Amino acid sequence: MTTLQRHLGIGVLIIAGFAALPMVITERYLLGEIIIFFIWAMVAMNWNVLMGHAGVFSLAQMLFVACGAYGVAMGVTFGGLPVWAAIPIAAMASAALALVIGMACLRLTGAYVALLTYAIAEMIHVLIITDTECFTLVRNNCQQLFGGSTGFSRFDDFGFRPLLKGNWVLGNYYAVLVAFAITVLGVVIIIHGRLGLAFRAIRDNVGYASSRGIDRKKYQVAAFAVTAFLTGLAGGVYAAHFRFAGPSLFEFSTLMFVLSMIVVGGLGSTWGPLIGTGLMMIVVEFSKEMGDARNLVLGLALILFVVLLPKGLSHAGTMLASRFLGRSRTSAANRK
Amino acid sequence: MEILIQIFVTGLTLGSMYALAAVGLSLIYGTLGMFNMAHGMFMTLGAYAVFSLASVFGVPLILGVLAAMVAGAVIGMLTHLLIVRFMLNSPDFETNILVATAGLGILLEDLILKIYGGYPYPQPVKIEGTFSVGEVNVTYQALVILLIAIVCIGSVAWLLLKTRFGRAIRATAMNRDAARLMGVRTNTVYLQVMALAGALAGVAGLMISTLATLSPQMGGDPLLKAFVICVVAGLGNVWGAGICAIGLALIESAIGFYFGVRFGFPTMLMLVIIVLIWRPLGLFGKEKVVRL
Repeated sequence: MTTLQRHLGIGVLIIAGFAALPMVITERYLLGEIIIFFIWAMVAMNWNVLMGHAGVFSLAQMLFVACGAYGVAMGVTFGGLPVWAAIPIAAMASAALALVIGMACLRLTGAYVALLTYAIAEMIHVLIITDTECFTLVRNNCQQLFGGSTGFSRFDDFGFRPLLKGNWVLGNYYAVLVAFAITVLGVVIIIHGRLGLAFRAIRDNVGYASSRGIDRKKYQVAAFAVTAFLTGLAGGVYAAHFRFAGPSLFEFSTLMFVLSMIVVGGLGSTWGPLIGTGLMMIVVEFSKEMGDARNLVLGLALILFVVLLPKGLSHAGTMLASRFLGRSRTSAANRK
Repeated sequence: MEILIQIFVTGLTLGSMYALAAVGLSLIYGTLGMFNMAHGMFMTLGAYAVFSLASVFGVPLILGVLAAMVAGAVIGMLTHLLIVRFMLNSPDFETNILVATAGLGILLEDLILKIYGGYPYPQPVKIEGTFSVGEVNVTYQALVILLIAIVCIGSVAWLLLKTRFGRAIRATAMNRDAARLMGVRTNTVYLQVMALAGALAGVAGLMISTLATLSPQMGGDPLLKAFVICVVAGLGNVWGAGICAIGLALIESAIGFYFGVRFGFPTMLMLVIIVLIWRPLGLFGKEKVVRL
C-alpha cells in the first residue's frame, strides 16, 4: 500500500466518522461547533499545504476565505443566484484572485511574501470597512457594494430550514461535511502525489529542484491557486452556513488563530492541522468557560505549545508512537 | 503654503513616531531574524507604565521618557529570556516565533485590559500649548516628539556605529556564526538588542499616547505601519527604516489631507506592493548571494 493510499484511507475513515457522528450527538450547539471545526480545518489544511509543503509564507489566507464568503454573499444578494451555484463560483473567484497575488509574489521569497500578502489583504480590508457609498438599498438599509463595515447578513442559506424544519442544522452539517470531504481528499492527493513532491523539492532547495526540471514559478502559482480554491470553498460554506460575510473575517486575530492551529498541530505534516484545529477549538471552548480569562488562556497556550513542541503535536505523536513501538519491538526481541 | 506646512508638521510628527517603532523592529529582525508581533504591546506597556507612574508621583517629561524606556527594555528582555531564547535553534523558527510573539501580544493586551480597563485615559505626561509657524499652529508636543525621536535614534546610531557593543550587534546581524567564532557572545547580543528595541518601542508608545489616548489596543495600528516601513526599507535595514518612516508618514499625511484620511493607509500599502514588485528586497535591501 502506498503512502497516498494509506492516507486516503485515513481520510475516508475520518470523513465516515464525522458522517456518523450526528447519530451520537444531537445537540444543536455541538453540531454547530463541529461545523465551525470543519470550516477552520479546511482553511488550516490548505494553509498547511501552501506554507508547510510549498514553502510559501502567505498571510493572505483569510483574504481567500473572505473572497469565498463575500462571493457567495454578493452573488446571492446582488446576483440573485442560488447558494449552491454561488459557492463554486465564489471558490473560482478566490482561485483567480490567488493567481494574480501569486504572480505578484513570485519575485519575493520568505518573509517578504508574508508581508506582501498581508499588505494586500489589509489594504482590501481597510478599503472595505471605510466604504460608505450606498450601492443599493436592501430592506430600506443602505447596502454598500462590498458591505461596508457591517458586511452582508441575512441572505439565503442552504435552504434546509423549510425542508428539514427543526433539524436544519443537520442539513447544514452534511453540506459543510461535503466541502470538508472534498478538501481532505484533495489535500491528501496534493500532499502525497507528484504535486506535493514538487512543492517540497522547491521548499527544500530551489536550485536543486529547478535543476531537476521543476519550475518554481509554475508550481508556486499552482500551489497558490489550488489552495485558494479550496480555501474559498471554505469561505463559501461559511457564508452559506452563518448567512453572514463581513470584515471580521479579515481581523488579524482570526488570522493568527488559524496560524496557531497549524503550528500547534504541526507545520508540514498531513494531519497536524486537523489535530491543531480540534485542540485550539477545545482550548478556546475551555477558556470561554473561564469567562474573563479567555485571551489569557489562549495567549498562554500558544506560547507554551510553540516553545515546548516546536514541531507540533503530530510530530510529537509520531515520536512517541515510534519510541513506544520501538521499545515493545526490542522487548519482544529480548524475549525470543 | 499653510497647507504644505501643516502636512509637513503632521508628517514629521507621525514619521518620528513610526521611526522609533520601525527602527526597533528592524533591529530585531536584522539580528534575530524574527518578526516581533508583540512589538505593539511593548509600545502600549511603555505608555501605561508612564501613566501609572505619573498618576502616583506626577513625573516630569524627561523622567517619563526614561520610565517608558525602562519599561520597554524590561519587557523586551523578559520576552527574550522567557520565550525567544528557547526557540532560537528550533526548526521553522520564522513561523513559530510569529505565533509565540502573537500569543504574547494577546496575553499582554488582556493583562492590560484586566489591570486598567478599556477606558481611554489621556496621557498626563505631556506639554500643552501651541506656537505658530506662519499661519499654522503647531503644538509644543509635536516639537517635543520630534526632538525626542531625533535624540533616541541618534543615540541608537551612535551605539551601533561607535561602540564595541554596537559592533558586536552589527557583526551578529551580518553573520551569526562568524561573529560567534570571533568571540561575540551572541546570546548577550540578542538580549541587548531586545532591550534596545523594547526601549525604543516604549518611548514610541509614550509619544503615541500623548497625541491620542491610552488604550489596550493602541499598539496595533503603529505596529502594522512599522512592519510596512520595515519591508519598504528592506528587512533588517535599520537606517532605511528611519528614512522610510519619515517618507511614508509625509506621503500618508499628504494623501490624508488631499484625498481624505480614508485613503492614507491603503495608499501606503499600495506603495508597498508596488515597491516590493519593483524591488523585491525593499528600497535599501541588498541582494544576498545564497549558495545551494
